[in-house]
Amino acid sequence: MKVIKIIAESSKSTLKHKLRTVLIELAILVGIATLTVVVSLTQGANKRIMKRIANFGSDAIMVHSGGGKMHGPSTVQQANLTRKDIADIRNIAGVRFTTPIQVELDMPLKYGNQFTTAWVMGVEANWQDAWRRGAARGAFISDADNEQLSRVCDIGTTTAKELFGKMNPLGENILIRNVSFKVIGILEKRGQSPAGTDFDNLILIPFSTASRRLMNQPLYTSMLRVIIANPAQARQIAGTISGILRENHRLAATEEDDFRISTAEQVAKMIKSTSKTLGLFLWLIAVISPLVGGIVLMNIMLMAVSERKHEIGLRRALGAKKKHIIFQFLTESVILTFSGGIFGVGVGVLIALLIRHLGKPISISWQPFAIAFVISVLIGLLFGVYPAKKAANLDPVEALNQ
Amino acid sequence: MIELKDITKSFQNGKIQTDVLKGVTFSVQKGEFVAIMGSSGNGKTTLMNIMGCMMQASGGSYTVEGVDIKTLDDDELSEFRNKKIGFVFQSFNLLAGTSALDNVLLPLVYAPEYPDDATERAERLLASVGLEDRIHYKPGELSGGQHQRVAIARALINDPAIILADEPTGNLDSDSLKEIMGILQKLHEQGKTIILITHDQNIAAYAGRTVFLRDGKIYEGAK
Repeated sequence: MKVIKIIAESSKSTLKHKLRTVLIELAILVGIATLTVVVSLTQGANKRIMKRIANFGSDAIMVHSGGGKMHGPSTVQQANLTRKDIADIRNIAGVRFTTPIQVELDMPLKYGNQFTTAWVMGVEANWQDAWRRGAARGAFISDADNEQLSRVCDIGTTTAKELFGKMNPLGENILIRNVSFKVIGILEKRGQSPAGTDFDNLILIPFSTASRRLMNQPLYTSMLRVIIANPAQARQIAGTISGILRENHRLAATEEDDFRISTAEQVAKMIKSTSKTLGLFLWLIAVISPLVGGIVLMNIMLMAVSERKHEIGLRRALGAKKKHIIFQFLTESVILTFSGGIFGVGVGVLIALLIRHLGKPISISWQPFAIAFVISVLIGLLFGVYPAKKAANLDPVEALNQ
Repeated sequence: MIELKDITKSFQNGKIQTDVLKGVTFSVQKGEFVAIMGSSGNGKTTLMNIMGCMMQASGGSYTVEGVDIKTLDDDELSEFRNKKIGFVFQSFNLLAGTSALDNVLLPLVYAPEYPDDATERAERLLASVGLEDRIHYKPGELSGGQHQRVAIARALINDPAIILADEPTGNLDSDSLKEIMGILQKLHEQGKTIILITHDQNIAAYAGRTVFLRDGKIYEGAK
């Protein structure tokens, strides 16, 4: 009962001192809004990262031609995987199947008077199973297309939009570096590739057509996707592949690999490490800004205590104990930070929606709300304690004569 | 009922010690209306603060209804003030922006039990000081005399043992002065114990008995 009465005194007081209330709420609002945006951004980014990792496939191992520390696909110019390499890899125990990929980046495309560029990949029919991605409309490249060196292609949705706008691309002919290809299918949408690029700005053509007609690389293959039976064996099989390739390529012990092997685990590690620095910086801001809000609160509450000495003295004279004064001022702080927190979450969500509208990945879930409420109450308690104690420890006689 | 025995109070200001009260001894019976007179600088306010349990004496003993005030800690003092002392201040000390009713109810916020009939009680008290039609007015909308009447109602809300009035008419015009003193007299007639602190002989004349505070000591009756 008494608690409720004192809480009522506190809320009356926050309504009475409007400027002070607005200033404190504003400070907390900025802090909590920042926190909300950062949490949403981080969650959005994490979600996208998880998608990228999922897009790689947990049962997949990618073998890239050419060594070094580069990320992303190997192109046909680097290609050095031989037919023997591929056959040996396919024979490793635990490997379900492999699919070769011939890659050339940013090839010029033309349809009518529309120009664009896209990655062009030469693939076999089992690419669909290897990536769990086929044609959303039309047909996928078949074994027959590969045998006949057909000039047909499946195109990604981004490429389709660039070249055809709202037109139906199926059955149309496009030029890939001046060679004409017939569009037979539209690929399922995928979003970001594991390398972080647009996985829908892509053209697939038959592997044989790519090697012999378009990219002039009949001997070697630029990439091999290996699908294994048990994802837990990924690391072990990757080691076996490495051994086979080093032997086949006759590399001396001192020589570096002339190929790269990546597993889902490594891709995840790589993606996470690149996104870490930004995340850390954002979190720093997210932590600092509510603290600044707390310092503002403490400042204004200290001012309020010295302005309201007389009132404190009066309350003491009328029988308020020290703990009542502490409770009243602490409650005032928490009311202010909590309401500031509510506004802050509101503004934060609005900003997050705006950022999403601008095309950045944002995930809005219940977490920012929970975090904001807990943090705002904590700030009120933490930064409100000192002013409240100061108020309670005033000498009642001196305070009343103020 | 109220007994001060050899009360002393000194203040330390740097190396200088000031003895404000030098052995105050007197008692007040239940239902008495006593005026403590003295010119300013004679320790009236200090005495009032000690009697109001706002500060502890340096020496001597002060008992109210058998309770030795010296033995009370800060929390107990607060509770004692809340239950036993009704303050009427020279400067009224109402909470600004708060209605007359809420000002009267303020001591109950800190009372151990919040009575169910608190609001009716406060309204009754406000009516008894002639403010039945000003219950929801805020201090800014009330005159000086009305301020003090609200303050008197506030002093009565906990039915205290002592009403301690420190220059209650110091800030009032002569009409309001008569009203306020009339109210205090009426309370005295109803059996309340009232201690009035003043420098004004005309005000002291309202009381049943006058004691004089001079050079930190109390003198009964004569000047």
